[in-house]
Amino acid sequence: MANVTSERPGAARVTRSSGRRSSPSGSFRAGRRLGWLMLAPVVIAVLVIAAYPLVYTLAASFSESTLGRPFQEWIGFDGFVEVFTDPAQFATLWRSLVFAIPSATLALVVGFFVALSLDVAVKSGKVVRVLLLLPLMTPPVMAGVIWKLMYAPTGGLFNNLLNGTTLVTEPVLFLGTSPSAMISLIVVDVWQWAPFCVLLIYAALQTLPTEVYEAAQIDGAGVFRTFGSITFPLIQVSLITVFLLKVVLSFKVFDLVFIMTAGGPGLDTTVASFSIYKTALQEFNLGTAAVQTIAFLVLVTIVITPISIYRSRLQKSEG
Amino acid sequence: MKMQRSIPGERGKAIARASAITAVAALSIGSLVGCTPSSDGSGGGTSDTLKVLIAQPQEGAGQILKEEFEKKTGKTVDVTVVPYDQIQTKALLDVQSGTNQFDVIQYWYTSVGALADGGALQDITDYVDSDEEIDKADFLTNIFDAYTQYDGKTYGLPIDGDAHVLFYNKEIFERNGVEPPATWSEYLQVEKTITENEKEDGVYGAAELGAKNAFNIGSTFFNRLATFSDGPIDSEMPDLTSDAALDAAQAMLDAAPYALPSPLEIGFEQALPQFLAGNVGMMEFWTDLGTFAQDPSQSKIVDKWGVVPLPVGPEGRIATALDAGWAIGISPSASNEELAKDFIKFASSPEMNEQLITTTGSGVDPIRTSTLEGEAYKAFAPEVSEVAAQVLPNAQPWPTSPDAPEMISALNDNLALMLQGNLTPQEAMQKTQEAWEAI
Repeated sequence: MANVTSERPGAARVTRSSGRRSSPSGSFRAGRRLGWLMLAPVVIAVLVIAAYPLVYTLAASFSESTLGRPFQEWIGFDGFVEVFTDPAQFATLWRSLVFAIPSATLALVVGFFVALSLDVAVKSGKVVRVLLLLPLMTPPVMAGVIWKLMYAPTGGLFNNLLNGTTLVTEPVLFLGTSPSAMISLIVVDVWQWAPFCVLLIYAALQTLPTEVYEAAQIDGAGVFRTFGSITFPLIQVSLITVFLLKVVLSFKVFDLVFIMTAGGPGLDTTVASFSIYKTALQEFNLGTAAVQTIAFLVLVTIVITPISIYRSRLQKSEG
Repeated sequence: MKMQRSIPGERGKAIARASAITAVAALSIGSLVGCTPSSDGSGGGTSDTLKVLIAQPQEGAGQILKEEFEKKTGKTVDVTVVPYDQIQTKALLDVQSGTNQFDVIQYWYTSVGALADGGALQDITDYVDSDEEIDKADFLTNIFDAYTQYDGKTYGLPIDGDAHVLFYNKEIFERNGVEPPATWSEYLQVEKTITENEKEDGVYGAAELGAKNAFNIGSTFFNRLATFSDGPIDSEMPDLTSDAALDAAQAMLDAAPYALPSPLEIGFEQALPQFLAGNVGMMEFWTDLGTFAQDPSQSKIVDKWGVVPLPVGPEGRIATALDAGWAIGISPSASNEELAKDFIKFASSPEMNEQLITTTGSGVDPIRTSTLEGEAYKAFAPEVSEVAAQVLPNAQPWPTSPDAPEMISALNDNLALMLQGNLTPQEAMQKTQEAWEAI
């Protein structure tokens, strides 16, 4: 019988004759080995970057660990019981949620409208796009310092402006009262990250097929009809993707909280990321911080999984 | 095609397993090597370069120490400056990761137990006890004990005896017809009077450091605890269910509504410029404020300020709290232990302490009886030195055990909740005490 030979370009030759399997040639084996050898750095990198910290965190969560003396004693699930029976820990996770969802939603909404405006009004507005990206390019620590100064009760920009009006008689404590502190943080986060959403959504808008718009124009569709029937449905998957990314970014907020409120007033802005930092690096309690990290991971997974599933379904229904 | 995939798939798995095992082995070896302090690098070396970790507020002092030590010994000193709230973490991670980058570590004294327990500080008891040049007896006893002792051993030497006193603006006080307060109830009255009279013009009776970190809200509380108490505070576990602790918390809360808005947002970085600009009637602050207040480049109140000891409670006595003092110790993996010992002895010597406390911007306060009562300090800061001499020998320490970082954090959280109105002083103290006992 004639031999059947693999013709895949670049692949080693594999022969099959008379229904009998033949072993790969020496050069094939060598090529495969070389391939895996070349993959080894990636495997090691993945282990170092992802697996090692995860294993370390898991091990720390089951142990009595301080920053100076990690893994002193195996304590089983005691750490988990301690964290999951502490209402303060749930409050911290809840605050992360309270920050992440509104800030991601607002950034998405603002970003969407700015991107639409850019798409329609400033077709070649490179300067405008660069200016819009400035907040994104500002280091979060600098953004936190600048906004903290603007929010300051004495000498701050906003209070100086308000003092010039009859609206207030006392300084407004933007970062010193509840819920104003959380709202103020969300405002800064939206200011910083809305350009990120603009960038991605604007790029997505550029990929929409012009033929559909031309057809709609010929059919006499107005602006709102075009938006509702064409633009929004076509951009929906991109919007959900951006939202997903922004939710993850919002959950990770740390710099702004650290600089602007240190988790205060009281515990009002003590979100999970800041709480983990405090437990691990200020109180040196590595074991509890590891459990908090796992709890936080669970929360983030619970929030982003449905969004991710919805996005996949939407994509499939479109495809 | 199927055949094509199946054969390499099996071999691929084997190779993948081998790669994974190799990678894990490499990682494990790397981790073990990384986590084990080098046995040959600790102490026996003769490196001519000393690497010193310094907290940012002490940067000026660090530079002076570097220059003077290099001049004296001909050795090189590399100073690394880190934010004050991260220095303990940096020191612990340096040892824990096996990096062993630093020979000498400056530390906030409340972390002496945690650093010693975590293996970031070397036991230098024998050295300190045996070297007469250190002149241990000259250190202020309360400062030496709190800054250096853990489990009966010595882990460092003090270099900065930070403590709060009460500064006031003479012009504001005269305008309002008030005198510097001697008790906390007088303090409240004076604060209230000034704020009610001058709030419209942006002038407030006091600045209360209430920002939620130890150097601010913690100092405000411990200042009151030290002066409401009729005796020494137990630095292992202060009793927060005592009347003194409750009164201290209540005094903080009472003063907050009349203070520079808002105490929860006011740290020393915000309060200092307001006081120097003449917008604050009085403020508890570190003694080196006296030198800033006399510097015309940053102060509008040159020769218009005064200083007195902190007010006291009904049963209290003139005292203060050791707020944010600094000590210096040796890393267990110091590359040249002898040089490191020479450096810490030099840094805490009477000569250097005198030079530092008489240098504007060094941020250093007296640590020794000889320098506190010395003529140089009196001549440099006549008003402040007089008050410091009254309060420093009675200054009360904060917790210093290995659990101190966690204890102080719990206290800060509950005090902040109290100032926010979510806890009463009694609840704040009770919850903190419970948290401390649980720790």
